[in-house]
Amino acid sequence: MKLKKLCAILLASSMVLSLAACGGSGSEPKQDTAAEDTKEPEDANTDTADAAEEESGEDTAGDEAGADASGETGSSEENYYGGLVPLDDADDPITYTFFVRDPGVVPADNNPVIQKITELTGVTIKFEFLVGDLDQKLGVMIAGGDYPDVIFAGDAGSKLRDAGAFIPLEEEIPKYPNLNAMYGNVLKYLTQADGHVYDMEIYGTFQNDVTEVAPPFECALGFYIQKAVLEEAGYPEVKTVDDYFKIIEDYMANHPEIDGVKTTGFEILADGWRNWALLNPVQNLLGAGNDGAVFVNQDTLETSFFQISDDAHAFYQKLNEEYQKGVIEAETFTQNYDQYISKITTGAVLGFYDQNWNFQSAQDLLKADGKFERTYVAVPITNPGVKDGYLDKSNGIPSGTNGIGITVNCENPDRLLRFFDWLCQREVQDYLQWGEEGTDWVYSADGGKELTPERRAIVRDTARKRDETGLTLWNYCPKWQGIYTSDGMPCGTGESPDEYLASQSDYDKSFLEGYGIKYPAEMFSDPIVRAAYYPVWALTLEDGSPAAVANTKITDVTMKFYPRLILAKDEAEYESIWNDFLKEFNTIDLESYQTEIDSQIAQKMAK
Amino acid sequence: MSKMQKTLKRLAGQKVLFLMILPCMIYTFIFSYYPLSGWIMAFQNYKPAKGYSGSTFVGLDQFKFLFQDIEFWRSVRNTLAMSLMNLVFSFVFAIVFALLLNEIKSLGLKRITQTVSYLPHFLSWIIVCSLVSNMLSTNDGMVNNFLMAIGLIDKPVLWLGEQKYFWWVTTFSNVWKETGWNSIIYIAAISGIDQALYEAAELDGASRFQKMWHVTLPGIRSTIVVLLIMNLGWVLNASFEVPYILGSGLLQDVSQTIDIFVLKYGMSIGNYSLATAAGIFKSVISLLLVFGTNAVANKLGENSLM
Repeated sequence: MKLKKLCAILLASSMVLSLAACGGSGSEPKQDTAAEDTKEPEDANTDTADAAEEESGEDTAGDEAGADASGETGSSEENYYGGLVPLDDADDPITYTFFVRDPGVVPADNNPVIQKITELTGVTIKFEFLVGDLDQKLGVMIAGGDYPDVIFAGDAGSKLRDAGAFIPLEEEIPKYPNLNAMYGNVLKYLTQADGHVYDMEIYGTFQNDVTEVAPPFECALGFYIQKAVLEEAGYPEVKTVDDYFKIIEDYMANHPEIDGVKTTGFEILADGWRNWALLNPVQNLLGAGNDGAVFVNQDTLETSFFQISDDAHAFYQKLNEEYQKGVIEAETFTQNYDQYISKITTGAVLGFYDQNWNFQSAQDLLKADGKFERTYVAVPITNPGVKDGYLDKSNGIPSGTNGIGITVNCENPDRLLRFFDWLCQREVQDYLQWGEEGTDWVYSADGGKELTPERRAIVRDTARKRDETGLTLWNYCPKWQGIYTSDGMPCGTGESPDEYLASQSDYDKSFLEGYGIKYPAEMFSDPIVRAAYYPVWALTLEDGSPAAVANTKITDVTMKFYPRLILAKDEAEYESIWNDFLKEFNTIDLESYQTEIDSQIAQKMAK
Repeated sequence: MSKMQKTLKRLAGQKVLFLMILPCMIYTFIFSYYPLSGWIMAFQNYKPAKGYSGSTFVGLDQFKFLFQDIEFWRSVRNTLAMSLMNLVFSFVFAIVFALLLNEIKSLGLKRITQTVSYLPHFLSWIIVCSLVSNMLSTNDGMVNNFLMAIGLIDKPVLWLGEQKYFWWVTTFSNVWKETGWNSIIYIAAISGIDQALYEAAELDGASRFQKMWHVTLPGIRSTIVVLLIMNLGWVLNASFEVPYILGSGLLQDVSQTIDIFVLKYGMSIGNYSLATAAGIFKSVISLLLVFGTNAVANKLGENSLM
């Protein structure tokens, strides 16, 4: 009797479950087909729209080419590149899928620039941005052999290379004039241990005959501080950690609230892989740039673990003091990235250690609200007497870890490379970055280039920038960066001094005047041309090797102990946590990590 | 001989039934047994580019690495603790909730309560964890505001920063999200109880509480045991999202579960062999748990699954 009832219940529950499951799986394809159904007519619409635009588009393209020819009396180089000339097989549409390791949003289908590029080349790039965890995503991709056509995986690309996901490019690149001009001189640095080149680096200016490195206008990482704080303190020189927190404390005392929000002195983001605010500052205090998990003595190339140095002890003790003074709040360690960004967006955060791209969105919002005095500037904080090493001047050597690779699943790599080569024409590059002359950009008084206010407004708006300009496409494809050597013109808006100055708000101009400098980067020591190995974080460790395990452990242990050190109740507790930290840190297999890094540095320096 | 013939005859008589069960067996084989062949990875230094045949065998090295790592044992402890707390509390809450719901006389109110209570089940953990972290925030968070208003604490507590609270946070996030959903089966079981039993109890003068205790609970006892056994098998799998999303460096000692450990030291650094070894470890423990509970249930005279 009991058994029967039990069976009945089980049966009933399993039926409910399976019904639910069937309902799920049954309705899904239905939805899919529905989506496709609605999509198709839409496609048809855009097709006709495309066709209509194609005519007008070609007209303008023709006009431009004409203007180019008449306006610039066509130097031979100009003719060689030939303006926005369509590719021969532009009427044969092809789509490539492109996975990007960054979280992001795909540009709108009706993005006029990308539409025009597709029209001129026949190539559509279908971007897929990262959702969730990159390593997981790549792991799944590798396990299933399910690769898109192109992948930009950053320093996680080594996994894909080891899995044999990429096709070798060393014999392909020389076939394409623009790609060859870009990568030809640095192929040896892109060559992996097996003798093949698998990726085309997309960030940085490499040794070549077309471009040279542009000087930085701003420092891209370090201790940021709100401009209002510096203004109120009378534009002081801020050089040490003590200086930095001193003016933050003073400002906090005078302004317990900013725009109705309680003032926060210093934020430390420690969310998942965004952990540099917690882990990195000490190497900067020692005068290094953004190097990695070891400090490298630039003269002797000796490596050491700065995490357990006396400098680290002193730095985190200082942070502990600031915590006790209420400048740092404990909640900073439990918040996630979104909470961090929204907190900065309130304008009530006075300082943080970060890299500019990471809080860019918050800064953009502050600018959009007109709160320019609440935006941030990096200051050259080091230990007393140490020359700061924040600014890089590229050595023209690709890191080997910021490349896009073409996968074995790509059916027509030749056409894709031809597309990339086509994109690397100067006219196309200018079109993607600057837009059209007159409407999007103009020549400045001293002959440089600057954007029109309309275009600047578009570029400042994340959504419009994505949906109305070609910057997404530009960003993830091979591209020229720096200054064109032929005429000294900047490749992009970010490298144009005229655009930098023109885009500054009145507040920023007076801020720079207050310091008597032209660019914020002038607060720092001159940019350093880095050694060939630089940086350590870009060295790849073999999957599953003891060095890779040790590397993960180093992050794990430091992530665990630094917050505790900062939140220590008093000095005695600080010291006891520090001792625990040393103990646990030293149980890591540090030697295999250090040996591996040392040998890789030696290898790279020997190239 | 005749016995075998008899068996064959019986089998032949049931061939329609065998045909009906065949698809299920194929399904189970393809999706549950065939993938087990991948366990071979755990004994290799597996590299995806080389495949099973090309990778070198390393014996029990991966297991050695796991068992020698204190972090792994911490993860095992955290997984077990969080899962068992989860199991116990979600059981108790779901059963009590079902019992109480059963006592509501107004049918409309009962339905509304039931629907509202299982809606959180359909929210993703990302959303639920954001809610939780906002509620527990020291900066104008609901829980701290409330506790301060009634005077229990005088300054905000960093709920998500202190190790001692974390297991409770995950447990009650789970309870909040799943109680309504988990109670559905009990409500179904309760509605299957013979009404005559209640009438008989009433005639005997049983109070409402006595009816719950002596009629309803025994009526769903077998359901409870079956679900307990089934859920125990999932204990080690049930702790990834919440600790992963709400955890931070501060909490690592109590928030890192086996799955998170495997993600960090297996998947993230391309050590698939280690991930597989940990998977095998989990399967073995789960099997032990299921068989153990089953045996206990048998001993106690309950219906067991096997």
